[in-house]
Amino acid sequence: MASKAMPSALKFDLIAKCSVTKARASTLHLPHGPVSLPIFMPVATQASLKGLTPEQLEETSCRLCLNNTYHLGLKPGQATLDAIGGAHKLQSWPHNILTDSGGFQMVSLLRLAKVTEEGVRFLSPHDGTPMLLTPEHSISLQNSIGSDIIMQLDDVIATTSPDLARMEEAMKRSVRWLDRCIEAHKYPERQNLFCIIQGGLNLDLRRECCKEMVARDTPGIAIGGLSGGEEKYAYCRVVDTCTDLLPEKKPRYVMGVGYPEDLVVSVALGADMFDCVWPTRTARFGNAITSTGTLNLRNSAYADDFGPVEEGCGCICCRPVAEGGLGITRAYVYHVAAKETAGAHLLTMHNVYYQLNLMRQIRTAVVEDRYPDFVKEFFAQLYPSKDKFPGWAVTAMKGVGVDLLE
Amino acid sequence: MANIDSEKLSQLPCEMLSFNILKAPAEIGPRLGKFALPNRRVISTPHYVGISSRGVVPHLSPDMLKKRTNIDAVYFGLEDFTERLPIRTPPLYNVPTSEAYASKLKSFTVLPDDRISILGPRRIPAVETPKSNTKNGVSIHTSVGFAELNVRDYVTAMQILSPDIIIGLADVPQGDKPSSKRADKMDDRTCVWTRDMIVAEAEREVPADTPRPQIFAPILPTPIELQMFYMDHLVEDDMLKHISGLAIYNASNTPDLPYQLLHLPRLAMTEPSSPRKLLYDISLGTDLFTIPFTTAASDAGIALSFSFPATSPSPSSSTPLPLGIDMWSPTHATSLTPLSENCTCHTCTSHHRAYVQHLLSAKEMLGWVLLQIHNHAVLDRFFSGVRASIANGTFDEDRLAFEKLYEDELPAKTGLGPRVRGYQYRSERAGESKRNPSAFRMLDDGGEKLEEAQVEEGAVPSPGVDERELEEKGFAKPV
Ligand SMILES: [Zn+2]
Ligand SMILES: [Zn+2]
Repeated sequence: MASKAMPSALKFDLIAKCSVTKARASTLHLPHGPVSLPIFMPVATQASLKGLTPEQLEETSCRLCLNNTYHLGLKPGQATLDAIGGAHKLQSWPHNILTDSGGFQMVSLLRLAKVTEEGVRFLSPHDGTPMLLTPEHSISLQNSIGSDIIMQLDDVIATTSPDLARMEEAMKRSVRWLDRCIEAHKYPERQNLFCIIQGGLNLDLRRECCKEMVARDTPGIAIGGLSGGEEKYAYCRVVDTCTDLLPEKKPRYVMGVGYPEDLVVSVALGADMFDCVWPTRTARFGNAITSTGTLNLRNSAYADDFGPVEEGCGCICCRPVAEGGLGITRAYVYHVAAKETAGAHLLTMHNVYYQLNLMRQIRTAVVEDRYPDFVKEFFAQLYPSKDKFPGWAVTAMKGVGVDLLE
Repeated sequence: MANIDSEKLSQLPCEMLSFNILKAPAEIGPRLGKFALPNRRVISTPHYVGISSRGVVPHLSPDMLKKRTNIDAVYFGLEDFTERLPIRTPPLYNVPTSEAYASKLKSFTVLPDDRISILGPRRIPAVETPKSNTKNGVSIHTSVGFAELNVRDYVTAMQILSPDIIIGLADVPQGDKPSSKRADKMDDRTCVWTRDMIVAEAEREVPADTPRPQIFAPILPTPIELQMFYMDHLVEDDMLKHISGLAIYNASNTPDLPYQLLHLPRLAMTEPSSPRKLLYDISLGTDLFTIPFTTAASDAGIALSFSFPATSPSPSSSTPLPLGIDMWSPTHATSLTPLSENCTCHTCTSHHRAYVQHLLSAKEMLGWVLLQIHNHAVLDRFFSGVRASIANGTFDEDRLAFEKLYEDELPAKTGLGPRVRGYQYRSERAGESKRNPSAFRMLDDGGEKLEEAQVEEGAVPSPGVDERELEEKGFAKPV
């Protein structure tokens, strides 16, 4: 157990709770300003979001974005970050930043990564020399980055792993590493350390992990290990189980989740914070997220489509010129997207705006206590008929008192 | 040959474009002007116009162009939009506009209303094509291969797209210095095509106050005495009064222009490779420029750093200053200073060298965005300095001081350019990497070089090359 009490650099105000589901609306006061929850956080991996200037990102209404510790640790590197004075200064971003621990990237990007009690061993992608990422080093890097929310180093293994013993070892090790992270954290009064609940798809392990980690009293709590390919039914059960055991007055962050329907259902299951590279990565390939599904604007069907990317969207691209927007058409995106990066910038702005606006609508619906209706309308728009609704969403929503099919 | 229907021409409304020459030397020399179109930003000349690729100034989404640059006018190459010609009408021909005769080019590319759109047949710089121009039109490079753009199609584009300014179709061959026979053809064809455009516009019936595309007549790169047939027709009143400007392919021709053309604004199609060459063209009285080295510098990770008049003359120093800073260099890794001291651009006021260096080295697209914003701002200041210098009557000495202080050419590129995404992207930018493209090169040689480049770059699909790009690779054969 941690030997020192954990100060907090945030304030969590619970604003409203849905009277049917477990959805919550809250305000999270962070060192670089307040943010409204539920929230989607775009991922600016290397201190930049897919060609957008920080000013353009700000215009989408984003006030909390992610940077990846693994990438910033390699470039520009810790010494440079220290010299510059952290990631806010590096990218001139006046708002909040959340960083991951770097462990996930290491395990997923580097096939040769190996986890030991000491930390994650891997070969440097630059020169192949053996390296080690420890909980202490991850925190030290995140201290140099200066992010408003920092994540513990956890032992990540695929949730689909059938090896229960390895899963339990990873969960218990993650708890031990949390203690080392708390111990190593130099600036708890200005950076908020979040723990990460592990335990794979095994609900007993998840319960045990919740109990252990809640006892460490970190300012916020993440549910980890759920961003890769697991079955959606199982995903929902894990989130549902964990949120039941988490304190009401702390933010709950489900890592690596970001498809619109995942967000809508996860909020109903009591989660508050999300991040995902998909909305911005997919923009690069010409995909626009809309309330009726994802459109690939590189398809020649859109070559002569002079409508906006999404009718009624308030983003700078879709808004008509008369309303201060650019009045971009699908045909223009089709024309530009594959050839000039600026085409991707346009879709990135649209997609980020879509995600943030969805979260705004979710929050309003929770505040006005009409979240069940909102979820029904959302699915009705996304799918042509009820029989097309995904089973996992129907089941999960039923579990929190909403029958999508009624 | 040039059988011009004077009656039809005279029905054209009076010119919409006004160009006031504020200061010009008695003979040849730099001049100051004011270039104005109704409802558009007034451009003080000499100045530059932005160059687009596929309908955007590279790296700049339209909101950035509007908010974070001072680009007053943008050049578009029609070949960027003629993906399926002649099989299918390019989509932008069908874009709905709020008013019947509003510019579809502008509407499609969301160029802000107050900016000037300029349409020419080809990209700047253009990729060499394996085929020669014919008497019907010019050889172009579209995203699905090479094609011929004939004068009829070009007239259609002019009338449907309604750019503010259209560059006349010029028969400018690739390859070596043209033979005298070839020069004759150039003279002939360009004359006929220019006349065709003027007549076609005269025959078009539009409501009285409809803004018409302003035709800039090309002036061929060959010596003026080799384009006398064309010049003779151009200066005849019935043709002359329907052209609003000149598109100059070789600034050295300016002193030899017929006096009847001297009042017209001169847009350089000369692709100057350095500020020094720009200053040369300015010294001959060129008014407007397309400057490929701006984007080329951004692509190369170079922050332009010159100013005019040279602000820090250091007569004691014998080593000339570089014209740009290589932002790839790790020496900037912890530098919190702007790209240029006193630069007021968005990049310099909001960011610092360390960030730009980081973005380049991390191959983040934003690095090139920030450089593009800065480099255009450097050009803004350069031209504003040039105008002040001409106004003060100190241009010649300022030019000398500039050439003394700075190196002749931009610094060499050390880092990688923006992510290459398939064959088309690379070939479109191919010409831009050439510092000193020879004006005339053997046609066949050009074609071979391009094919080589295709093989080299198209061999291995890189991650991120999607189906469509692969599809294009298959289609991208010379026609
Ligand atoms: Zn939009
Ligand atoms: Zn600048």
